[in-house]
Amino acid sequence: MTTQLVREEIRNSNWKLRTGRIIAARQMTPAEKWFDIALDDGELDHEPGQFVQVELFGVGEAPISVCSSPTRKGSFELTVRAAGRLTRHMHALGKGDVIGIRGPFGRPFPVKKMSGNDLLFVAGGLGIAPLRSLINYVMDNRREFGKVDILLGCRTPKDMLFGDEVARWQKRLDVGFNCTVDRTDPDWKGNVGLITTLIPGVTINPERTFSVVVGPPIMYKFVIAELLKKGVPEKQIVLSLERHMKCGMGKCGHCQIDHPRNYYCCKDGPTFTYDEVKDSPKL
Amino acid sequence: MKTAKKPVKTPAKAVKAPAKPKVAFFDFACCEGCQLQITNLGETLLDILGAVDVVEFREAISEKWDKDYDVVFIEGSIGDHHAEERLKKIRARARVLIAYGSCATIGGVNGMKNSFPLDEIRASVYGKDYKLFDSTPTKAVHQVVKVDYFINGCPVYAPEILEVIKHALRGLPYTVPDNPVCAECKLNENVCMYERGLACLGPWTRAGCNSWCVNNGNICYGCRGSVSNPSKAAQDVISKYNLKPELITGKFDMYNKCKENDEKPGRGK
Amino acid sequence: MNQHILKKEELDAFIKKLSKRMKVVAPVAKGHDNFAFAEVSSAEEIALKYIPTILPPKKYFMPVREKVLEFSADARGFTQKPVVEYEETAIFGVHTCDLAGISCLNMVFSERPRDYNYLIRKDHLFIIGLECLTYCDGHASCALVNAHNPNGGYDLFFTDLGDRWIIHVNTQKGEALVEGLPRASTADLAALDKARAAKREVFRNEIGVEAKKLPEIFSKAMKSKVWHGVGGRCVSCGNCTNVCPTCYCFDMTDSVGLDLRTGERTRTWDSCQFETFAKVAGNENFREERSERQRHRYFRKFSFPLDKFNRFFCTGCGRCTRTCMSKINLKDTLKELAAEHN
Repeated sequence: MTTQLVREEIRNSNWKLRTGRIIAARQMTPAEKWFDIALDDGELDHEPGQFVQVELFGVGEAPISVCSSPTRKGSFELTVRAAGRLTRHMHALGKGDVIGIRGPFGRPFPVKKMSGNDLLFVAGGLGIAPLRSLINYVMDNRREFGKVDILLGCRTPKDMLFGDEVARWQKRLDVGFNCTVDRTDPDWKGNVGLITTLIPGVTINPERTFSVVVGPPIMYKFVIAELLKKGVPEKQIVLSLERHMKCGMGKCGHCQIDHPRNYYCCKDGPTFTYDEVKDSPKL
Repeated sequence: MKTAKKPVKTPAKAVKAPAKPKVAFFDFACCEGCQLQITNLGETLLDILGAVDVVEFREAISEKWDKDYDVVFIEGSIGDHHAEERLKKIRARARVLIAYGSCATIGGVNGMKNSFPLDEIRASVYGKDYKLFDSTPTKAVHQVVKVDYFINGCPVYAPEILEVIKHALRGLPYTVPDNPVCAECKLNENVCMYERGLACLGPWTRAGCNSWCVNNGNICYGCRGSVSNPSKAAQDVISKYNLKPELITGKFDMYNKCKENDEKPGRGK
Repeated sequence: MNQHILKKEELDAFIKKLSKRMKVVAPVAKGHDNFAFAEVSSAEEIALKYIPTILPPKKYFMPVREKVLEFSADARGFTQKPVVEYEETAIFGVHTCDLAGISCLNMVFSERPRDYNYLIRKDHLFIIGLECLTYCDGHASCALVNAHNPNGGYDLFFTDLGDRWIIHVNTQKGEALVEGLPRASTADLAALDKARAAKREVFRNEIGVEAKKLPEIFSKAMKSKVWHGVGGRCVSCGNCTNVCPTCYCFDMTDSVGLDLRTGERTRTWDSCQFETFAKVAGNENFREERSERQRHRYFRKFSFPLDKFNRFFCTGCGRCTRTCMSKINLKDTLKELAAEHN
């Protein structure tokens, strides 16, 4: 006897989507687009450093870092680089479009441990997106942290993301700021060179400094070397690693990191302290 | 369950309703067996015909369309100057071009022509007056014009036709799996052909056919082309099963001789 | 719970009775010494003596392709329905290596966040184990990881006592199925002890390295040269992971109907051996080399699950070695790593 195939609805399914509506969108650079998204069921309820899975109907999902601080209520923001199938498709979306959301997922930046300490943010390229969720959180809770320095790097001046906001950080008296570009253009009056060149110029008290570094994999090696040279303890260097998180629940295996402890980037990370992942052959 | 208040917009690039996309089929050097696969789709064909408007299809209809095409299917490989010119003209009128079937996507069996000096093979086919007959080394479609979608196979695999059509209608890229056929064959729990003492091209051929041939008792002939980074470990596979490496390369040439056009700069495109 | 006795000639009646209640699957011969779990309706279809099947019974727990969500988007908006599909099924003749595999998967999918698709389906699967009294072939390494003996995870468990099977009943569900079968006598239990004692002489650590040494070996193995040899042979066909009873990595894909409005999300098996597995948008590939991917596979069996679940995720079934197109041999690799460590 062959029994019938039963098809049952699961109320608490892991795959159920939250529906989100794009309430604002803006092309930031030819490659990056910014989206402000409101969920139908309320707040995203995330913490700085977490990510969501964005589902476009029938196209699939992709993990995207939340780039807004949870202190900002009512909606959340994503910065999407058109790099893959889903993200390219997402660039065609705009205000009013509905998308599916799962999450938030991942271990956030260790905000509690960092409070009361000095902070040195180092962002390269699109790394500013996840870091911005934390920077703005710190700005909104400025009294809870010590000295704050922000170092930014990008390829060319035109690739600078969140220019207006960056200008506001720059003006603040309670924030140290510096930025650099790899390749200059005629209007650029600032530094030219890799982001590593900015680190020696920052005065820090390494014992009480947490350095949060987010950027492309190639950047980590060199920035971390500079930070260690300055005496920042390995436990106080915080990174956000990139992997292809497909499920967000520590199961599908795609985001596992080559490391004796085989971390799932989606669940054990994406934020890690350097001492946790330093044995990995590739950050 | 949530119901959104506003409709979900389809992205701008997708072919939009209500005007049904105009679809045409053109054949070059081939057996037209892949076009027949369309008529073999049965009920699914009726669904497809509900979604598109077929304006040229030699195997089933004979009307002629003189405007632009939304989607064209190119079947067959390119083996003379006239075909090359005709293909370029079709490309100029087509918004989306699909290389359809092994002859189109990888040159297919027609590529075997490239194993011999051109004049020699022309003489053997057309006799002493062979110069009167135009002929060039065989090229796959992408070696002449830009291709938007590839549907591999000899013949094409029906479920994949459907997938590609849906992707094309929505303006989404379709990615041909870049894993060996073994990946799908194992999931179908076929007894490995090597265990049966037969050399099979599954370990180097692109999946996406759901190991159609092996499911039906045949070896894989490599009709979907090789994976983009084929293993150099052929020697190990062969040594495990006591086979000669030349056997594998020889078998691969049956469908994949045109691959050399991609590898040698200055040839092909 | 209780032990019962089933005479060999009564197996057919047992299977037929079982198949009146649910679908029954069991190992069947496919020729060339290959076997697969498939639906049966009588005892004669079953290969009672078999080497591990091409795919392990995990295919019933997490199907190769599994629909998890139905959705539609149209002028009215977006609707969705998360679903699980299952079939009431009895899996007959599961060897202890595969029982061990199933219990590994149970741990993975019970871990939070729980995977309801897996857990709901699992409750509709009925497992009947079958003891191995000799090795299936030389590729097995079940004694290394102590998977040659039953460690639970079944409803019923059959051990061959010559002309009869002694059945260990492990669950209430199992109890219902042995109703009417005689209880095992003291003589039967003695025969079982004797069979197990004989087994101790047959099954010996297959690699000459103690299992408890493996964690230390792996803690130093990240930079081992052994991986280059293994990677150099690898075809990246994914056979080793597809046939592994504890591999559970998956991919998620969306597909739509020709109406372009309705569609579904599907979970499919994936393999860490595929070149695209650890690639991210923008083309950075975190395990680009075959050697890195093979190393990852071994770490997923002998290192990572030890930290997380306190056990190896290798059941010694030998499938990966049997199926490998290019002679990558699990036992040899472990021996090489151990030799390098010394």
